Amino acid sequence: MFGRNERRGPAGPAAGSAPHEALRLVKVTKVYGTGGAEEAAVTALDGVTLSLPAGSFTAVMGPSGSGKSTLLQCAAGLDRPDSGVVMVDGAEMTAGSETELTKFRRERIGFVFQQYNLLPTLNVAQNTVLPLKLAGRRVDRARVREVLARVGLADRMRHRPDQLSGGQRQRVAIARALVAAPSVVFADEPTGALDTRSARDVLGLLQETVRVDRRTVVMVTHDPVAASYADAVLFLADGRLVGQMNAPTADAVAERMTHLGDMYEAGAPQSGAPRTAPMGA
Amino acid sequence: MFSLAMRSIRQRPGRFAATLLSAFLGATIIMMFNSLLDTAGADGVDDTSAESLSTAAMVVGGYGSLLVFFAVASTLTVAVRQRTDEIDLLRSTGATPAQITRMVVGEAAVVALAGALLAIVPGMVGGRILLDMFQDSGQVADDVDHVFGTVALMSGIDITLLASVGAAFLAVRRAGRARAGRAPRRRLRTWGGYAALGLGAGLCLTGFAMGDAGPEAMAPPAYGAILLSVGFAAFSPALLGGLLRLAGGVLTAFGGGSGYLTVHGLRQRAAQLSGVLMPMVLFVGISVATLYMQSVENDHIEAAGLTRSVDDKNLETLNFVVVGIIAVFACVMLVNTLYAATSYRSREFGQQRLAGATPGQVLAGVGLEGLLLTVTGVFFGTLAAVAGIVPFTVARTDHVLPEAGYGIWAAVAGVAAAATLATALGTARRVLRTPAVETVALAA
Ligand SMILES: Nc1ncnc2c1ncn2[C@@H]1O[C@H](COP(=O)(O)OP(=O)(O)OP(=O)(O)O)[C@@H](O)[C@H]1O
Ligand SMILES: [Mg+2]
Repeated sequence: MFGRNERRGPAGPAAGSAPHEALRLVKVTKVYGTGGAEEAAVTALDGVTLSLPAGSFTAVMGPSGSGKSTLLQCAAGLDRPDSGVVMVDGAEMTAGSETELTKFRRERIGFVFQQYNLLPTLNVAQNTVLPLKLAGRRVDRARVREVLARVGLADRMRHRPDQLSGGQRQRVAIARALVAAPSVVFADEPTGALDTRSARDVLGLLQETVRVDRRTVVMVTHDPVAASYADAVLFLADGRLVGQMNAPTADAVAERMTHLGDMYEAGAPQSGAPRTAPMGA
Repeated sequence: MFSLAMRSIRQRPGRFAATLLSAFLGATIIMMFNSLLDTAGADGVDDTSAESLSTAAMVVGGYGSLLVFFAVASTLTVAVRQRTDEIDLLRSTGATPAQITRMVVGEAAVVALAGALLAIVPGMVGGRILLDMFQDSGQVADDVDHVFGTVALMSGIDITLLASVGAAFLAVRRAGRARAGRAPRRRLRTWGGYAALGLGAGLCLTGFAMGDAGPEAMAPPAYGAILLSVGFAAFSPALLGGLLRLAGGVLTAFGGGSGYLTVHGLRQRAAQLSGVLMPMVLFVGISVATLYMQSVENDHIEAAGLTRSVDDKNLETLNFVVVGIIAVFACVMLVNTLYAATSYRSREFGQQRLAGATPGQVLAGVGLEGLLLTVTGVFFGTLAAVAGIVPFTVARTDHVLPEAGYGIWAAVAGVAAAATLATALGTARRVLRTPAVETVALAA
């Protein structure tokens, strides 16, 4: 349903090179709070290396404060890592100005937030086309209608966000993230503020994006059921990848999470023996 | 709830900075001019001196107070509107509407009182400087001592308090209505607006009838221009909406992403922007009106072949001091309110950036919006001023418009535009320094 735009520029992968890499992180590190002398520095990401093939749906899980949001924001160009390399769709993210980063993101990345972040003054249709307008791209009405129909909101085009339920708002946010046909869609706890039913709708949409449009989705979640929609789950603890589970089921994920929790509450080695890198780069 | 009000002030003094500043400046101006009334009323002041002083205090104390009242009220309105989220939170944790009203109004009262008390010393100093000026130009005898008495003190405190508390009460009530799903009633604003327009027009018209009533003839049209400014400001959301309908198509077509953001943002926010338009319309209205009337008065005296009397000089000094102080005040209020309103938008800017706007696009949007605000403000300020100038000119001379040309107007409009754009863009730039992700997380 979503016509995939031709990738622009030489950065795009060679056509036909079967399952290519959509996202690659190499030794990405992020430390907060090095500025002040008094506050202790927090290593939110500790040399994370990973690689995700195009057309994959990955969930990221881990205890609160383990660096999941930081990981997503660094990968999506919303935050800058202190060191390491981020490559999206074969193009390396530059450490340039915000303007450069914004232009990089426009072409390649969609982001869905837990708190929607829709503009309250714009209606559903206007919010959806905003990324296109800002990028100076032509807005194809039929396509906007199609995207909104896909998320089930074709009849709400003129409503403003405050006239919608949480689930509906999140679906608008997904439509907005998809409208520019990005290669990778990031979602940080997209179902965190939703009831079970709305959450199922949202997860189904993300899954469809992967299955039907062959986009790559990376989703942070605390909910094992949500994680079970993904093809694989990455586990994060203390800013490092500590495990991976393919074809996850809700029960298996829940079980693994309890152990992760135990391990860290019991004061397991923080920086002792190197853990096996969960994914071959 | 009052203790809650005190606690919220102590916890976050920064957010009350804008309201405190407006109360402080407003009270300083009122106290400064009204201390001349105290001085005039003291024992042993000769009649000429007393009259010079009371004219100054009556004229300026009069329209200065009116202006302070509306400027302080508009800052307060902007400040309360910005707290909708916090008020919603309190409501959802079980605060009754009455408790919320008491909290917001209580805070406004405490801040206004603090501002007024802080204003006492600067008011005294300012009053003494004014008196010196009158003495230097020979309009007041040198042996008159400055008195800072109950008139200055009480009028300063009362007007500031009334404007703050009244505006806070109306704003919080309006917020409650909007939340309850009822269309916010704007009856008071509408009728107040009509009343200000009617009264202002009436006062301007009396200017025609003044003929050769002497230089005091300037006062009614000047009051009239201020009231008209207030009236226009009350209707400014609708006026801004009209302008957007005219300019909207062009802006969306040629303004790119920024034009799109501006037009759609402004349409929804037109109501909130009246808080910024009020000081701008007042600034333009009062500056243009007074400066042109003074030039007409000077021409009139010259044409009559008269040398200017003490009274004339008195009035001229007075007018320049007044227009200076009042214009600076209105301009500071414009900057103050616009600063508060713009820094409050960090979350909105963050959301725009997260949706793919570059910092440049956000700034361009803010600039466009500032331009539209300036056009609206200057237009209505000018309209109000012209309504005051024409009757006075007709009464004083045999033509309809002053001969002074467009220079003064262009200068005033230029200052308004510069203040608006510099404040909006400067504040937005500062706000944009915070990473977008943080700005949307902060308010949560
Ligand atoms: N702006 C910041 N300044 C300082 N420290 C930060 C900042 N953002 C995150 N941190 C710290 O970095 C670490 C990782 O935070 P992050 O938000 O990525 O965790 P998370 O895994 O998303 O947690 P949650 O599940 O609670 O959302 C935490 O210890 C957090 O306190
Ligand atoms: Mg998080």
